[in-house]
Amino acid sequence: MDEVLASVAETIKNFAVIYLVDITEVPDFNTMYELYDPSTVMFFFRNKHIMIDLGTGNNNKINWALKDKQEFIDIVETVYRGARKGRGLVIAPKDYSTKYRY
Amino acid sequence: MVFISSPNSTTIFFNLNPNTTTLYSLKQILQLQTRIPISLQHLLTPSNNSTYDDSALLSHLGITPYSTLALHVPLLASKPRLDFLNSKPPPNYVAGLGRGATGFTTRSDIGPARAAPDLPDRDDDEGDDKGYDENQKFDEFEGNDVGLFANSEYDEDDKEADAVWEAIDRREARLKQEIEKYRASNPKITEQFADLKRKLYSLSADEWDSIPEIGDYSLRNKKKRFESFVPVPDTLLETPVTDLTAVGEGRGTVLSLKLDRLSDSVSGLTVVDPKGYLTDLKSMKITSDAEISDIKKARLLLKSVIQTNPKHPPGWIAAARLEEVAGKIAAARQLIQRGCEECPKNEDVWLEACRLANPEEAKAVIAQGVKMIPNSVKLWLQAAKLEHDDVNKSRVLRKGLENIPDSVRLWKAVVELANEEDARLLLHRAVECCPLHVELWLALARLETYINAKKVLNRAREKLPKEPAIWITAAKLEEANGNTNMVGKLIERGVRALQREGFVIDRESWMKEAEAAERAGSVVTCQAIIKNTIGIGVEEEDRKRTWVADAEECKKRGSIETARAIYAHALTVFLTKKSIWLKAAQLEKSHGTRESLDALLRKAVTYCPQAEVLWLMGAKEKWLAGDVPAARAILQEAYAAIPNSEEIWLAAFKLEFENHEPERARMLLAKARDMGGTERVWMKSAIVERELGNNTEERRLLNEGLKQFPSFFKLWLMMVRAESRHGNKREADILMAKALQECPNSGILWAASIEMVSRPQRKTKSTDALKKCDHDPHVIAAVAKLFWHDRKVDKARNWLNRAVTLAPDIGDFWALYYKFELQHGTEDTQKDVLKRCIAAEPKHGEKWQAISKAVENSHQPTEAILKKVVVALGKEESAAENNRH
Repeated sequence: MDEVLASVAETIKNFAVIYLVDITEVPDFNTMYELYDPSTVMFFFRNKHIMIDLGTGNNNKINWALKDKQEFIDIVETVYRGARKGRGLVIAPKDYSTKYRY
Repeated sequence: MVFISSPNSTTIFFNLNPNTTTLYSLKQILQLQTRIPISLQHLLTPSNNSTYDDSALLSHLGITPYSTLALHVPLLASKPRLDFLNSKPPPNYVAGLGRGATGFTTRSDIGPARAAPDLPDRDDDEGDDKGYDENQKFDEFEGNDVGLFANSEYDEDDKEADAVWEAIDRREARLKQEIEKYRASNPKITEQFADLKRKLYSLSADEWDSIPEIGDYSLRNKKKRFESFVPVPDTLLETPVTDLTAVGEGRGTVLSLKLDRLSDSVSGLTVVDPKGYLTDLKSMKITSDAEISDIKKARLLLKSVIQTNPKHPPGWIAAARLEEVAGKIAAARQLIQRGCEECPKNEDVWLEACRLANPEEAKAVIAQGVKMIPNSVKLWLQAAKLEHDDVNKSRVLRKGLENIPDSVRLWKAVVELANEEDARLLLHRAVECCPLHVELWLALARLETYINAKKVLNRAREKLPKEPAIWITAAKLEEANGNTNMVGKLIERGVRALQREGFVIDRESWMKEAEAAERAGSVVTCQAIIKNTIGIGVEEEDRKRTWVADAEECKKRGSIETARAIYAHALTVFLTKKSIWLKAAQLEKSHGTRESLDALLRKAVTYCPQAEVLWLMGAKEKWLAGDVPAARAILQEAYAAIPNSEEIWLAAFKLEFENHEPERARMLLAKARDMGGTERVWMKSAIVERELGNNTEERRLLNEGLKQFPSFFKLWLMMVRAESRHGNKREADILMAKALQECPNSGILWAASIEMVSRPQRKTKSTDALKKCDHDPHVIAAVAKLFWHDRKVDKARNWLNRAVTLAPDIGDFWALYYKFELQHGTEDTQKDVLKRCIAAEPKHGEKWQAISKAVENSHQPTEAILKKVVVALGKEESAAENNRH
């Protein structure tokens, strides 16, 4: 996930900034945001947590590693567009639910 | 040797000994190599121990030769950690709550995620501390929630708060005691009677009932809330009928009575004029709201205009006019007066002031005006206008002239008012003051005697050498005094003098002058002008065309003399031009006298003896004048001049024939035939014989004629008609067949043959005819007639229309068409045909010419001829009908 984030940071710099947070250094939000996964991506717009319907059941965050850069850019863009319009919940361009895998 | 994988996915290697190199020196080397500042470098070492310091040897960090270090630049800007971050947060601080962040719970199985403020989750110091004392007593007030403030310290604030609360408690206890004390001394009424009330339970029901009522006295004090009204029933209204109109009328009567009383007051003094009263009311101006607001707005605007720019006269005038429109004449006067004070040198303001002033004050106003601007012509004229009698007017104007001696308008005004003698004197002075005004000179010349006028004009000429009007006036003067020979000279001299002065002479303007002279009755002047100026500025080769065009124009404008003069001049130049003679003759014929025409034609034939038209015209004029011998003489002369002209022969024959001299006519024709006359001569000969009733002779002539001119259809036609007249139907048929063989393209013959055959055959005949000559109007007309007889109205109309459009020149068709419309058409269509016929001006056609050329019809309009032809057609038809029966 780090590679993806680092490589797209430049591409999406016009509408998004990526912050890397080490939850051992900043443990303040661990409870609030249930941060215990190896990696978690959350979206904020103007200090407000933006939820995203990924089809996984957890709309709060992405807690798995995305491999595709473009996929991630698309998600960020969707979040950005939705948030600009005042939405608190946006729908991801792709469904990441596992129901198709089984 | 140490490998470093850098963030841009390249691997850098350094040759160094990990046992002797410190981490710091490695970072320095890296900074040199990759330009990443040391503070941003973050090396992931194999030992993955993040708490090393820079002075440690590389070997201590588990780095061996050939090991790979990953260099990673943290995305997080590595600012120095802010100081407060190291300190302990205040109790119950939840990160993010300040900005309104709310957590979420998705996996309650793992544990409560929401940051509950009552959970001392921040304080991990006591490890397994549950946050409250399990052994504490259940508190009455707080329950188990000692924890709410359990871990807070008791500080000064709390102490103070406790003190306040205790004080309140004490105060309440004291108040309670006081009240109790007070109640003990002053018991309540209920308490006083408490013992008695207690005994009431022993009261029986009877005793309860026997307690007397106290009665309700409160009702008396209550106000009545509302009164109720009930509508009156209709029956009440029905009995005395009130007529509203009657009431209105009654009021009118009362008013009129009042007015009567006013007018017939005993003292005889009428206060109100009863008749004028109502009209006065009507004439009162009622301004609507919109207008009033407009006026208010405009008033405001204009007020600002005159305040900001008081020296601007139009502002004052507009303001005054607005007041005038608004009906406030006094305000208007006041405004314009102020305007006059502000702009005393503007004549418009004074004029406006004069207009707005009272009639009796106007004079005073204008007097002030002329005092302020003594050289304003307008003001003087206005002043003169205000005077009522001519004497005063001219006095004012003279005064004005003292101030402005060179104003032509003032001079003119003054001269108009003066009598003839005075006017002459005035004009003498006027031409001295304004010598450059032709009108004054001319007016003076008009008033003077002949001799003096001449002098005046000479002086005028000296002053104004470039003015053609003076010369023309001089010429007119000479003409009026009988010196006709001087006129030409004068004009000639004038033209020369003007040319010398470099005055560009415009032909058009001279022509206009000539026409004006003609209208003024100075014919000689007109002629002289034309003679001297008509040739100016015209190219040699254009002369004839231009002159003819000019003459035509003049004729159209009604300037006959000018046109005549132009022709006369043109004829002096082009003596032998037939066309000009003809035009001139036409002019004389239409506008001149018989004598002048005669004289002109005589002159014409002497100069152009070969023009037979001129001869014929002359002869015809004579004949129409009833002078047959003279006509005959002219024709004889013409014959002498042009011996071989068939036209003249025929004219001579016609003259004789029409004047009932058949023998002479026959002789003339015989001569003409001998001279080798054309088919027309033969035809005419045959006609003469027919008229005289010499059938044999006629037939002989026709036969002979046909031998010479077998393709001349008219001879054939006459032959056929001659036979049918004599009842030789078979003969006629044969002849017709022959004729059609000879001249198969003659529409007239075909038409005649259609007429001749019996009715059932006509259709076939007409199809034949149409096949041979499809677009011949005669055939078309014959077909139309056929339809007409069959009562096929629409078709007949179509075909007749075709005929008249194909040959609009042939009157017969027009007559036929008109007759048809009279019978079958509406009034509109009749009028339409009539109009079209008049527009087409038909000239030809057998019957048409017979009527139009008859002497008694020679000057009839087209309409009259058409009607006559129609009548003739009707007669002919009925005659044919009679013949048939």
